[in-house]
Amino acid sequence: MAGAGGSGEIIAVEGVGKTYGSGEQALTALIDVSFAVREGQFITLVGPSGCGKSTLLQILAGLVPASTGRVLIDGLQVTGPSPGKVGVMFQDAWLLPWKTAVENVEFPLALRRVAAAERRKRALPLLDLVGLSSFAHRYPDELSGGMRQRVAIARCLVQEPRVLLMDEPFAALDEQTRTRMGSELLQIWETSGGTVVFVTHGLTEAIYLADTVFVMGTRPGRIIARITVPLPRPRTIDMIGSEAFGRLRNEIWHLIAEVRA
Amino acid sequence: MTARRQLLRLAALVLFLAVWEATFRLGLLSPIVFGSPSLIANAAAKDGWDFLLAFRVTVFEIAMAILIAWSLGIAFGVVAGSLPVLARISAPVLSALIAVPLVVLYPVLIAWLGLGPASKIVFGVVSGIFPIALNTMVGVQGIDRGYATMAAAMGASRRQIMFQVMAPLAIPAIISGLRLGTALIVIGVVLSEMLGSTDGIGFWISYHRALFNTGQVYLGILLALLVAGLANAALSLVERLYGRRTVDQSVP
Repeated sequence: MAGAGGSGEIIAVEGVGKTYGSGEQALTALIDVSFAVREGQFITLVGPSGCGKSTLLQILAGLVPASTGRVLIDGLQVTGPSPGKVGVMFQDAWLLPWKTAVENVEFPLALRRVAAAERRKRALPLLDLVGLSSFAHRYPDELSGGMRQRVAIARCLVQEPRVLLMDEPFAALDEQTRTRMGSELLQIWETSGGTVVFVTHGLTEAIYLADTVFVMGTRPGRIIARITVPLPRPRTIDMIGSEAFGRLRNEIWHLIAEVRA
Repeated sequence: MTARRQLLRLAALVLFLAVWEATFRLGLLSPIVFGSPSLIANAAAKDGWDFLLAFRVTVFEIAMAILIAWSLGIAFGVVAGSLPVLARISAPVLSALIAVPLVVLYPVLIAWLGLGPASKIVFGVVSGIFPIALNTMVGVQGIDRGYATMAAAMGASRRQIMFQVMAPLAIPAIISGLRLGTALIVIGVVLSEMLGSTDGIGFWISYHRALFNTGQVYLGILLALLVAGLANAALSLVERLYGRRTVDQSVP
């Protein structure tokens, strides 16, 4: 995550909406979403299923076009994936099974025809950063779910993105692993200082990780609240048990429940 | 252990040949329908050189047909599997072409391309390409789109997604298509040699059958089996090179 430290706007979302289909069958997945993210912030998008949070992330990633409005990243309108600037992670690591961990990390560079020696030189330190240096030459089927997502994190970072978009990256992991991965992600983020937009349906995870939580509601998908998390950095697991944390959690819980009712 | 097993196999082969020869000599087998090991050996001594030259021709034709059918079939399958519209159109057409007795085309091919190797190669390609294309297409279609999305997010082009992500993921399906297709190619080439040609193993089998030279016919059959074995070996090589770790491991 290069380009650390700035405090300008890195992401600007302006009146973004998404409608699938047309006429009477048209389904509005997102309506009039606007927000801005300052460089170096950690944002989480939280909401019930069907609130369009994943759609919003895919629009930010340039994987799905918005029906209305526009997204600017670093001042440029998003019209497609911007691999040099934006790294994307999904719930599944989608590692290529015939490539070793380090070869998977090198894959985005291989797509850009970076020389093999240079690729290896950039990939190995990142595997080390995610704690997998001793697994560099293992194949995905020899790695646990958590390890695979770590490889996916390294594969994002090797592109030196300024923005990391994460779509429920730890949702498929068991709770212990999920919590540990969250802490590790925070450490990586704090040392490298990029901007993160993290989609989750877990309230605890959303609060624990974020500077700002965007709470989303359904039918149609939209942002219903924007909550600044007052907890200090670096975050520790113990904070999850604190009173302030519990209050925030309740507050968001009620926001989501009210919209649903 | 393996040495002992090979010895056993050899012994079984020798026994088989001995029993065959003995029953033949005892007049229990018709000399026109069943050859005998000694007849085949005589044929090899007499016409071995011709057969060897013919073997070379057949191997060349099959190798060319394999090269063309594999590359075109896989390329078409990968592209069609990635483009839903093309896949919808191709699926019924490919299935139909597999079911049609393509041998009816062969006279037309001879008229176009003559009796030489070209008509054999084209007939071999036509015989084998459709199952390869269909299997590849279905294989690519079956791959989770998540891989494509992941690669697109990393800036992969459509072509890179097709050939560096989807095609390797579809290798198990592609290889099963190659198994089917390659067998049909071998059959197609040998059959077309038998139907109309001036050279090749199939031609000599056909020729000597007309003259009731049973030994030569059996020699030809043995060589045809050897060709099929070679094609299978090529396939195993591909499988060993590419078949590793292509199991979909997407779900953590």
